[in-house]
Amino acid sequence: MALPKMLTRAAGAAADAGGVVLRRLQNARIPGAGMPPVHDDARRAVARWRVVTVLVSPDQVGVADDVPRPLADFRDRIEIRVTPAPGDKGTELAARFRGPASDDDIGELRSALRRAKQLLEVGEVLRVDPVSHGRREPTPQGELLEEAATQAPKGGVL
Amino acid sequence: MKAATWRGTDEVAVERVPDPTLLNSHDVILKVRQTVTCGSDLHLLGGYIPFMRAGDVLGHEFIGEVVEAGPAVANHRVGDRVVVCSFIACGKCWFCTHEMYSCCDNGNPDPGITEAVWGQSPGGCYGYSHALGGFQGSHADYIRVPYADIGAFPVPDGVSDRRALFASDSAPTGWMGADLSEVGPGDCVAVWGAGAVGQMAARASVLLGADKVIVIDRYGYRLDQVERHIGAETINYEQTDVEAELRERTGGRGPDVCIEAVGMEAHTPGGQYFYDQVKQQLRLQTDRPDAVRQAIQVCRKGGRVFILGVFAGMVDKFPLGAVMNKGLTIRSAQQHGQRYIPRILELMERDELRTEHLATHVMPLDRAPEGYRMFKEKEDGCVRAVFEPAG
Ligand SMILES: NC(=O)c1ccc[n+]([C@@H]2O[C@H](COP(=O)([O-])OP(=O)(O)OC[C@H]3O[C@@H](n4cnc5c(N)ncnc54)[C@H](O)[C@@H]3O)[C@@H](O)[C@H]2O)c1
Ligand SMILES: [Zn+2]
Ligand SMILES: [Zn+2]
Repeated sequence: MALPKMLTRAAGAAADAGGVVLRRLQNARIPGAGMPPVHDDARRAVARWRVVTVLVSPDQVGVADDVPRPLADFRDRIEIRVTPAPGDKGTELAARFRGPASDDDIGELRSALRRAKQLLEVGEVLRVDPVSHGRREPTPQGELLEEAATQAPKGGVL
Repeated sequence: MKAATWRGTDEVAVERVPDPTLLNSHDVILKVRQTVTCGSDLHLLGGYIPFMRAGDVLGHEFIGEVVEAGPAVANHRVGDRVVVCSFIACGKCWFCTHEMYSCCDNGNPDPGITEAVWGQSPGGCYGYSHALGGFQGSHADYIRVPYADIGAFPVPDGVSDRRALFASDSAPTGWMGADLSEVGPGDCVAVWGAGAVGQMAARASVLLGADKVIVIDRYGYRLDQVERHIGAETINYEQTDVEAELRERTGGRGPDVCIEAVGMEAHTPGGQYFYDQVKQQLRLQTDRPDAVRQAIQVCRKGGRVFILGVFAGMVDKFPLGAVMNKGLTIRSAQQHGQRYIPRILELMERDELRTEHLATHVMPLDRAPEGYRMFKEKEDGCVRAVFEPAG
């Protein structure tokens, strides 16, 4: 389904949360347009390594007491792997859950990996909020988009 | 402060919004001197990029004066006059260190939407929807500029605001198209679109030594500008068979390099336009790619096609067979401005790159709704409408 139509349709169901919209977007392809024939089931998705490549050397990425701060919050719920990336690409920083995890947990892990990468590469996490904007009527579609944008740090394919 | 905001499809308003503040140590706050409309905004206005929220501040090409700087900013001081790249990049990630700045990993902190749609997220952009980071735009009294040491460039004293303004986006975009297509002596280059972006791509091709540069559009006043200010040839596609004309002017070979600077709302005379529009309205395809199709069709064997125009999603009737069988190279990118802006400012200072003629309409920010209407409808010979918040 095309994106604008998805949003319009989704706006009908104002109860729909932004995270759900984002997850749907990910599978919003025209049939046959680049969709892989097999998708991870929930168990496989939880167990999968989620990886960011960071442009620092492996010894700059902590693995024990000094794991990057956003990942440290997960304590022993996650396993962390640090390996050199090929060529001049730096270091692959991977994490995965040891046990069961919800979609929300996976979203938190995505966000933590992204923040860890930014801390390692630039030293701080880029902020966008609060952003100034003008007057807004609370339309269902606007609310939905707001919620989708709020969820966006935790969304995506990572 | 005052700002021009997106309020809905084809609706721009001027309203009061809170002032921006420093949020990261590498930010600066600029007092905006001049800010300009761009063809990219038309895609937002037309509702083709459905991630704008009513009240979002528009604008991504601008020049301003530093009024506040974060503690980590090394290159800029309060009072400096700077021009800012429309794309937001960190300068530290692998993409930035390889001069692919618009692909920056750390420019869009909310990559969920773009990753879901495109598989990977590019960097962020000012005033360009919640998909590209939700950053506030430049059509306002003030703007926050993150990663200021990477994205903001001091403007040499000899270069006027009106000229330097275009170093923000259209000039580096055009330059990138010619540079990454490896334009040089011996090349015949065809450029689709005589807006600011197409004109800058043509000028870059001339300066990089191309033997022949031809710009295609249907607006006589824009093609006149190309002949007068850019030093390139022109074709009016409403009066001439573009493919036959290009073959004749390139010894039957076709252009070595074809640069598309039109984007997802391309116009076509004839039935294909209707077909594309209906499909776009029904969302069966999100974008109308007619100039890209034509560029691929007419390009010489083994030639290069560069897509500068912005596309968001799916296109239909893409001539993949011509790409494959003619051995074409297709490239594209959001602009890697940080790579080109220093050189562009030098060329502007030496008077080799002039852009003032693009600013056909200069007005106070209060008149932004009118400016956008004129730009969209191409009224009164409008090429770009420039807003002066202090005007
Ligand atoms: N890649 C980037 O980083 C980047 C940066 C800036 C702008 N852009 C994109 O570049 C494109 C042009 O921007 P602009 O500001 O010059 O816009 P513009 O609207 O001023 O100019 C577009 C021109 O294309 C012409 N055109 C339409 N259909 C055509 C066709 N079939 N053949 C030939 N010409 C045709 C129009 O008549 C118009 O003159 C837009 O899509 C914009 O989003 C890309
Ligand atoms: Zn632009
Ligand atoms: Zn970067």
